[in-house]
Amino acid sequence: MTKRTGVFVCHCGNNIAATVDVVRVAEELGREEGVVYSKDYVYMCSDPGQSTMAKAIKENKLDGVVVSCCSPTLHEKTFRDVTEEGGGLNSFRCEIANIREQCAWVHSDKPKATEKALKITKAAVKRVQHNQSLTPIGVPVTRKVLVIGGGIAGIQASLDLANAGFEVILVEKNPTVGGHMIQLSETFPTLDCSQCILSPKMVEISKHKNIKLLTQAEVKEISGFVGNFKAKIHQKAVYVDPETCKICDDCAKVCPTVVSNEYDVGLTSRRAIFIPFAQAIPATYTLDESACLGLNPVVCGKCAEVCEAGAINYDMRPKVITEEIGAIIVATGFDLYGKENLGEYGMGRYADVLDGLQFERLCSASGPTGGHVLRPSDHKEPKNVVFIQCAGSRDPETHCAYCSKICCMYTAKHATLYKHHVPDGQAYVFYIDIRSGGKGYEEFVQRSMERDEVMYLRGRVSKVYEKSGKMIVLGVDTISGKNVEIEADMVVLALAMQPSQGTADAAKTLKIGRDKDGFLAEAHPKLRPVESVTGGIFLAGAAQAPKDIPETVCQASAAASKVIQLLSKDELMHSPTVAKVRLSHCTGCEMCVQACPYGAIDLGAPSNKARVNDVLCEGCGTCQAVCLRAAIDVKNVAQVQIHDMINACLGV
Amino acid sequence: MAKVEQTAKDETGFEPKIVAFLCKWCSSAGSDLAGVSRLQYPSNAVPITIMCSGSMSPMFVLSAFNKGADGVLVSGCHPGDCHYLKGNFYARRKIYLVQKLLQFIGLENDRFRMSWVSAAEGAKFAQVMHDFVTDIKKIGPQTRLKAKRP
Amino acid sequence: MIDVAQLKAHAKGLLEKGTVRTVFGYRKSTAGLLAEPAGITEAAQADDLIFDPSCVQNLALYLVNDKKHQAEKRSDDKRPVAVVAKGCDSRAITVLLQENHFSRESVHVIGVSCEGTGVVDARKLARKLGNKKALAVAFDGADAFAVTTNEGTQSIAAAEVMAERCLECRSAHPTLSDVVFGEAKAERGLHTPFQAVKAKIKESEEDRWAYWSRQFDRCLRCYACRSVCPMCYCDECVVDSISFVIAPDTTAEEKANRIKWIERSPAKSESAMYHMVRAIHLAGRCIDCAECERVCPVNIPLRLLNTRLEMEAFETFQYNPGSDPELPTLTSSFRDTDPNSFIR
Repeated sequence: MTKRTGVFVCHCGNNIAATVDVVRVAEELGREEGVVYSKDYVYMCSDPGQSTMAKAIKENKLDGVVVSCCSPTLHEKTFRDVTEEGGGLNSFRCEIANIREQCAWVHSDKPKATEKALKITKAAVKRVQHNQSLTPIGVPVTRKVLVIGGGIAGIQASLDLANAGFEVILVEKNPTVGGHMIQLSETFPTLDCSQCILSPKMVEISKHKNIKLLTQAEVKEISGFVGNFKAKIHQKAVYVDPETCKICDDCAKVCPTVVSNEYDVGLTSRRAIFIPFAQAIPATYTLDESACLGLNPVVCGKCAEVCEAGAINYDMRPKVITEEIGAIIVATGFDLYGKENLGEYGMGRYADVLDGLQFERLCSASGPTGGHVLRPSDHKEPKNVVFIQCAGSRDPETHCAYCSKICCMYTAKHATLYKHHVPDGQAYVFYIDIRSGGKGYEEFVQRSMERDEVMYLRGRVSKVYEKSGKMIVLGVDTISGKNVEIEADMVVLALAMQPSQGTADAAKTLKIGRDKDGFLAEAHPKLRPVESVTGGIFLAGAAQAPKDIPETVCQASAAASKVIQLLSKDELMHSPTVAKVRLSHCTGCEMCVQACPYGAIDLGAPSNKARVNDVLCEGCGTCQAVCLRAAIDVKNVAQVQIHDMINACLGV
Repeated sequence: MAKVEQTAKDETGFEPKIVAFLCKWCSSAGSDLAGVSRLQYPSNAVPITIMCSGSMSPMFVLSAFNKGADGVLVSGCHPGDCHYLKGNFYARRKIYLVQKLLQFIGLENDRFRMSWVSAAEGAKFAQVMHDFVTDIKKIGPQTRLKAKRP
Repeated sequence: MIDVAQLKAHAKGLLEKGTVRTVFGYRKSTAGLLAEPAGITEAAQADDLIFDPSCVQNLALYLVNDKKHQAEKRSDDKRPVAVVAKGCDSRAITVLLQENHFSRESVHVIGVSCEGTGVVDARKLARKLGNKKALAVAFDGADAFAVTTNEGTQSIAAAEVMAERCLECRSAHPTLSDVVFGEAKAERGLHTPFQAVKAKIKESEEDRWAYWSRQFDRCLRCYACRSVCPMCYCDECVVDSISFVIAPDTTAEEKANRIKWIERSPAKSESAMYHMVRAIHLAGRCIDCAECERVCPVNIPLRLLNTRLEMEAFETFQYNPGSDPELPTLTSSFRDTDPNSFIR
């Protein structure tokens, strides 16, 4: 118990003084046990107020300070800083009594409000008299970053961090980095080729001395805390040594197994041993063990036979890699909404009903048709193409409630690209609204309408069916109010974006929250959009919400800069108001260990009693409420303090 | 708003003493919002801000009644919204047990209450306060567990 | 029916081989009907062991006390101790294991099944016998006790003189044991559990308070209930400032942080607080051995008070104390589906 408490009662102009008799509060507090100084002042937070406080602390050798004023969320820091910097007293010796928001502003009867203000202030005095001086806990940080996901978000964040001098572990579950962006043909609104802008970055990833790329790998376990995480990463066996592989394609030529090619979204096929595409990073063939006949020279073994470089090794085994890192960026991206959910549009049933990514491949020079838009069914040039927007988006009853944001733009791009490939063709777009906010976006859409004569029909499509080789699209044009029937050669659906499976998995492994739609939850929707709720874990790209490339790159760089901010110091500061065990009273019953939301308590040697990890502890006090023997307390919110405060509140 | 205060007044002139344990992140912030919004409610409850409803020891409740509280309120974040992930779930189970015990020994049912008030629910906080004071005024002073002090 | 000869032989074997330090069991008391707990250390003493309906005490307490004594003596004998445990006693041992009070290796549990009956309630028996004085009580078939008085032996239906807790017992067979004597009888079908609590809940608030007010007023604060409870193993009781330990290394800060939650005087308000804190601290830990109620010199119905929350544990949270040493405790766990409607 301290003996020299000072009380400072703020008028807050008339905000408090109009309803609370602040002079009486100050006078009465001056008579409290252990209070040696008590004063009211018109604005405690003003410069003169602060100097009065600092001076009083020094002159009266105060060992505890209560400021009776507004909510601690406003000025606790101000007054704690004054206490420490001005008064030379440890900042944790200062407590706030909230007599404005919790008293003066909510009552109008002055005597009653004054009574309450007295109790609140007396309770704070009781509390502060048990406060200890505390110093924030410094925690050394590991200056290494884990980036999960090798799409454009992960690539951008990794490069930013690596260029700033931080070591990066980039984990990608597919055989190559590039994500969905590398599948695109051209990008809106400038129509620059996706490969041309992304491949150099991919190459940079593979060459950068600060980046360790782990493909076909997944993060399986994360332990630790901000600044000091430990990751367990499982990497599949690839069966081809990337260092010796010459990318000659001899192996794929002899491979007898043919499976659907993911890169071309099923429009072409590949072998069990393959390279996803020519510019894949890492530049190596890889063996898909799920498709291979058996990784056994007796069963097949043809690829190993023909490989002159001797790069193929069936004895490779999966690896478990453990890495220590200081921060994590989650950039696990999106998947397209399941086509099986959109039976009414015939997706998956008709070869000529495609999704947006498949259409990208058809337009791409490196795609299955060498850059000619041809129907998958008969390889003829489609003369009428219908694009359907909001396929699965903005449909709270049956599909996703949210807007997938990028579809308006990429549909306009698709229609434009189609016209460039088939100048005599006609493109139709069914839409609900056109959302084209963004630099150069609206102009792009207008251009597709005016120059490329794309026909925009405002309305929904009810059904798509096949009739003698044509796709019949039934819809409604709500502007003319007429039903529309189009005999199309091809239909392209702008499917909704949904969080990828990898995003769901990462949320689980990292124990970070997701929103109602399954996208990763940010710490604050406006002010902390790239941080997760867990310290040291950041978000980038479409894993957090649907977004286009510029926005993704922007968020990736923002996440990287947040990480740089975090890891630029040698030590992180952690609040010292953590739980403390009274070893003499602890029996090691483990109730606190079980209840701690942060896993911050364990039983420690030599006597198997509770032990708090100060860095993991957030000071919530759940442990103190489950302990039967009062053997654990949170510093400066100890049970004895609550006990004394209860007495003060009841006037005992 | 003045009307709220008016209706809470009672002819007997009995002014209940109430201790309100508010979690720092939701309910205390909610009461701040009630303040910023100038919502008026009776002044009987004195708030004690605790870090989390999960840190609410049953001892605090029993002690408050022993020291003469006419009512005790515990208020925390809504389930799933706990700043400390799950502290309020532990609180819910513990408070439920304390409430059952107090009912069993015959303390008046309405004297011990728990509520969920988020940081955005200033109006709800004022309403909770108003309802609690009104209900306790109906029951009268708490004598059953109150210690007789010299 | 339990063959006591086998029990004796087992205890004798353990002590002869020296695999255990002590065997805690029951022997015939020299004062009165009820058996007395015995800690035997010599093989020859094993012949004194008995097991009959007079063996009411919860011997888990003796494991707790033994741990304290061993620590006080600074003994380096690390051999386990054996204990005779009825169904309820074994649940107490399980709770103590759950709370890491001792390790599974340090205790050898000699389980004894109460089978179709349980133990006797001496007060009920005295009422039943009227002027006659019971000298001994034995099991008599599946559902009766053979009671010997100065006027000879008579058979009394067990249900008439059985302890209340045995009538409501949910598992008369030990849940944890190294060896077990007697057969498991799962379905006893005597009374529905928590019958007394449920009857009390039906009374009006006024009546309940009148009842408990009278009980708390009578409490002497002798702390017999605490002393006999195996779960009250704390060195220091949070609501008893007399028990506060002041050691040479207790700092001034520690002394200043001791909380005097209640006054020492046995005033009604303070005794009410004491018993309620005990009930809360027993929530999910009380295994209903009812020893607190049996030893209370003023007959406060402590079993009724303490099983109130056990009923909630069991019925609301599906938590059965003493069923599994690996489970988290009742209050250090939760489910999303816990009751929520009581919250405003």
